[in-house]
Amino acid sequence: MFAYVIRRVLATIPLLFIALYSVHVGVSFTTDPLAEFYQCLPRCQQGYDLISDQYDLDTNIWVRPFAWFGDAATGDLGRSNELGQPVSTILKTRGWNTAQLAIPAFALSTGVALMLAIYSATHKYSAGDYALTSLSFVGIALPTFVVGLLLQTTFAVWWQDWFHNKPFWTQGKHADSFGQFLSSATLPILTLTIVSVAADSRFGRTAMLEVLNADYIRTARAKGLSRRRVVWRHGLRNALIPLVTLWALNFSILLSGSVITESIFSWPGLGPPFIDGLGEADIDLVLGIVIFGSFLVITFNLIADVLYGVLDPRIRYD
Amino acid sequence: MTETGLTAEAIALRSAEIRGLEGLASKPMSFGLLAWRRFLRHRLALIGAVGIVLIALGFIVQPWTSSWDFDEIDPIALGGDQGISAQHWFGTDDIGRDLMVRTFHGGRSSLQIALVVAVVSTLIGVTLGAVAGYFGGWIDVLLGQVTNLFLIVPALLVLAVFAKRWDNKNSLAIVIACLLWTGIQRVVRGLVFQIKEQEYVQAARAAGARPGRILVRHVLPNVVGPVMVNLTLTAGTAIALESTLSFLGLGVKPPTPTLGNLVFEAKGRIDSQPIKVLLPAFFIVAITLCINFLGDGLRDAVDPKAAGERAG
Repeated sequence: MFAYVIRRVLATIPLLFIALYSVHVGVSFTTDPLAEFYQCLPRCQQGYDLISDQYDLDTNIWVRPFAWFGDAATGDLGRSNELGQPVSTILKTRGWNTAQLAIPAFALSTGVALMLAIYSATHKYSAGDYALTSLSFVGIALPTFVVGLLLQTTFAVWWQDWFHNKPFWTQGKHADSFGQFLSSATLPILTLTIVSVAADSRFGRTAMLEVLNADYIRTARAKGLSRRRVVWRHGLRNALIPLVTLWALNFSILLSGSVITESIFSWPGLGPPFIDGLGEADIDLVLGIVIFGSFLVITFNLIADVLYGVLDPRIRYD
Repeated sequence: MTETGLTAEAIALRSAEIRGLEGLASKPMSFGLLAWRRFLRHRLALIGAVGIVLIALGFIVQPWTSSWDFDEIDPIALGGDQGISAQHWFGTDDIGRDLMVRTFHGGRSSLQIALVVAVVSTLIGVTLGAVAGYFGGWIDVLLGQVTNLFLIVPALLVLAVFAKRWDNKNSLAIVIACLLWTGIQRVVRGLVFQIKEQEYVQAARAAGARPGRILVRHVLPNVVGPVMVNLTLTAGTAIALESTLSFLGLGVKPPTPTLGNLVFEAKGRIDSQPIKVLLPAFFIVAITLCINFLGDGLRDAVDPKAAGERAG
């Protein structure tokens, strides 16, 4: 088991290297960190030199990433010029802000989706199943920004600013009390939840139905087990196997910052600076967020694989 | 004894046999016909297909019939941002352009992007999937790693980086297509991997057919169903991706409207004039919904496991 984990981690290192290298080259090709300086030269020669030095702009574009790799290997992820902070600090503070949305949203959406999936699968072709299926179709078709804008306009603008979440309202997101946190975080959490519940419940329904049609479920019924025991112990446990991978991916994506939701609700997470950083040639910040996100994807994928073994004892790692 | 040597019973028996044989020999329905029937029975899929055709027709016809051009400014509405009126059914945008024409014209751009993305990504995915599944080896490993790479690098990053350089409709579509081919590649690879072990493929190989001919004549016709489903659903994903990108201000450059661009332009005034966000958003949702209905119906129609003509 331990050897398996080590092998998996080692296998992703070249992949991560290629990903970061191409991101670095791609961003360097399309953006220019010196764009602001051409107008004011030679007055701002000092700043020009500082930026050139920070990004090693005098070296070839294809060689430049290696300087970054060298620094990153020693734990120095560089500095964001837009936010005026070291990238590692930003990842810590903003990453935590993002997690405050991501963890409740993940817990809520997974729980609700699972309940809906079990209901739909055990009441196949009933009125409730049809209603849920139609709803999930609409939910899947709704882009995140539509959900976010609708929630914001309805609950934070028209209805007397219940959630203190007026558009462009950026203060007070650092919650001093739990009540304050709830009032500013509810709408973004709800947005993230609605968007994922639709797809998750549909996927869960398919997974659950596939299991409920299996022979061992018929056997379990035939030997007289209670309906509840058949569905929850024999059905759900097997249906969880394909779902775990999906959840791992969802959670890692949520944790690495949701650009749309966080921008709409002016939430100081990792999403908005990522898009801004791309526009303003903040290469260190962009690479920092990418490496953070890929660590999450790799880690949670690994956790999912380990959980497979727990859920299905037939799976062996060697 | 008659000349034919058949008794009455024998004749009766014979004709019953022939009837039976005829029953067996009644032309079995082809896979395509079965799929078509299942599709017609699938009410939602039919609604989706009719809906998408109607929306597309509207998008194509309306800009012709309107007296305004999509980038034409109405001098009377120059102050901008008019509400709904007889002159401008959807109102005007902040510099006095007719929003109805812009919405329908934008819908046309969005659909065009979706179509190009679906076709291009499917072509790339099917070709690479067939090659990887049939030949295996290093090329399969390489493509598997590329798929993993796409999991690590956020799609939004790739789009944002390239959207800066190429910001017209078709190049944006190509960039999106280059991101979305991995899904169908995995599907086709898996299917080809199974099919190449079938007897008829081995027979073709034994008869001396070249790999190219085997792939095109014997293997690919058997993956058409899943590919069509994926093509449809990819179009839906493309609509969503394009509108998200435009919402962030990274999509097709103005003055060309797309549905996402229109939401982006109107979102600042959502509290006073929500209708200008809701209308393009409605079309985004309606198109995606229709496409997903269609894809779901197709999936049921081409699913060989689906029993007889029973629609799901």
